[in-house]
Amino acid sequence: MKVPFDLYQEGIEFFLQEAELIDDGKFREWLELMTEDFTYRIPVRVTREKAAPTEFSDLASHMDETKNTMEMRVIRAYSEYNWAEDPVSRTRHFLTNFRATMDENAENVIQYKTNFLLYRGKFDLPTFQFLSGERHDTIRRVDGQWKISKRLILLDHATIPMNNLAIFI
Amino acid sequence: MCQEFKSPLSKRARAMLEDFQASLEQGISKIGVLNDEEIHQAELERVFGRNWNFLAHESEIPNKNDYVLRSIGDDTFIVNRGSDGEIRVLLDVCPHRGASICRAAKGSSSHFQCPYHGWTFKNNGDLVGTPSFKDAYSGLDRKEWGLTQAPRVEIFHGFVFATLDENCPDLKESLAGMGWYLDMIFSLQDEGMEVLGEPQRFIIKANWKIAAENFSGDDYHLMTLHKSTYDIGVMQIPLRENMKGYHIQAGNGHGISFSIDLESKDPLFFYYPEEIVKTFNLENLSEKQLELARGSRVCVGNIFPNISFLMLPLSPDPKNVPPTPLFTWRVWQPKGKDEIEVWNWFMMYKNTSEEFKRASYRAAMASFGIAGTFELDDAIPWETITRNAKGTFAKKNMKLNLQMGMEGMGTAKQVMEWPFPGIAYYPRYEEGNQRHLYRHYLKEMLSEE
Ligand code: FES
Ligand SMILES: [Fe+2]
Repeated sequence: MKVPFDLYQEGIEFFLQEAELIDDGKFREWLELMTEDFTYRIPVRVTREKAAPTEFSDLASHMDETKNTMEMRVIRAYSEYNWAEDPVSRTRHFLTNFRATMDENAENVIQYKTNFLLYRGKFDLPTFQFLSGERHDTIRRVDGQWKISKRLILLDHATIPMNNLAIFI
Repeated sequence: MCQEFKSPLSKRARAMLEDFQASLEQGISKIGVLNDEEIHQAELERVFGRNWNFLAHESEIPNKNDYVLRSIGDDTFIVNRGSDGEIRVLLDVCPHRGASICRAAKGSSSHFQCPYHGWTFKNNGDLVGTPSFKDAYSGLDRKEWGLTQAPRVEIFHGFVFATLDENCPDLKESLAGMGWYLDMIFSLQDEGMEVLGEPQRFIIKANWKIAAENFSGDDYHLMTLHKSTYDIGVMQIPLRENMKGYHIQAGNGHGISFSIDLESKDPLFFYYPEEIVKTFNLENLSEKQLELARGSRVCVGNIFPNISFLMLPLSPDPKNVPPTPLFTWRVWQPKGKDEIEVWNWFMMYKNTSEEFKRASYRAAMASFGIAGTFELDDAIPWETITRNAKGTFAKKNMKLNLQMGMEGMGTAKQVMEWPFPGIAYYPRYEEGNQRHLYRHYLKEMLSEE
């Protein structure tokens, strides 16, 4: 069903605030935006002939996380030995093309498809990297607060142009 | 390869390599070879062109006509299972004018058609179609114009290897002592291993030798670079305990390292749970192999030149999930003097439950690969080493230390009556495997045969 405009706008506002937390490195606050059953997956993409039904692997992933494993990653990020991200990458989320749907029987749940472009720069290097793709997110209202319950990240890359994914999308 | 086409080493490259060779036995390596265009070009011929390269695992192409697209150095090959069930390695270059005939990384096809002028090949490589044959090519003997096959292909426990050198020794012989250790790992179960989905692929701006060195037996870096994995509880074998074990120079530049407890009363078998150990057919192993497998906690190795693997138990979620054994197998494909594409497969013994395979995949992906809590950190020093290797001053003057475990350095000692193949040292505070890698590397690079 079409999402009423106010609700649609509320969801977008939520995602923009959420991206700000990530880009500002406020990962603990970010964790609080996740429902207890939160999942986060980045399937491996494989270049296939046009006739293939999908390029995304159902078995292989780059990441396949729960709230617990995200918590572990966040603890790692704040640990004294986070060599991968100390100094931190400068990340910048660009979120566009928000498309929302909802089920008329579930007024506290909205699904969004969002295009993203994620800039990543590091150290003094003049070079930088982009990740581009589509996010399939589900947000759910828990005690009056919107939270993310599911994030599926469909990358536009078969070979990831980065040396690690120590960042969050 | 046509001998006349083989590029001679330039005076400069030869001098760099000889300089390295002269210092290696004192445990000194030279940073300059880690980022150099001439060295890279020579490696493509002398190392990657001559050795056995891993391309794919049989389980990636289980059905007739299945194919995957893979590389050796800078050449691209179709690895497929023909309509006759046979596995072949075909150069992805159309013999008409040189276009690529395969466009996807994976698929299923009985034929490949070149998009340029339409020459069509059966998946055994035979040329079977040439448009307007009568007008265009009536005198052509199609039999002579099939796809070029990799000169030699061998399959080892389902792992498909190819060499571009007709005269390369057989795979088994090339693997030397490493073959014995791999046999131990892969024949634990009659069914062997299979891939768990497609490989992760990503780019590290580093030279391939740094990665090969690391997996040959750099256990020393766990204490600092991977300290966070101890802090978050992913790695549960205590750090110092984990250094107990052996470094084995397994011949021809291959290196393997075991964290081991040969005194353990209980069989360890990499901490595979009992229901998995039950599926092992221990009769496939020799008495010696069994002895080693029983005591093994972790094993990590590099097959010369650029194939690495690792088996150990790790937890993807220390608060809720116990450590689960995982197996990762990777190729550090050289994309240039200062860049590798990592091809990272996760695998597991075939005859295990879907549930266990999923658990093992989770443990593997959480700790290794592009987002693995271990591997997140590795690229950082690998990339700075590579950048530093380009420095004009550093390239000429910088010597690096590879002396750990040499006479008078630390506690490691050669195990005199090592009951298994290769030359072993105990404990793992030791860099003999890396020296072994470079010794072989330098021999191959400097050889004029
Ligand atoms: S290049 Fe392939 S048909 Fe001409
Ligand atoms: Fe490492």
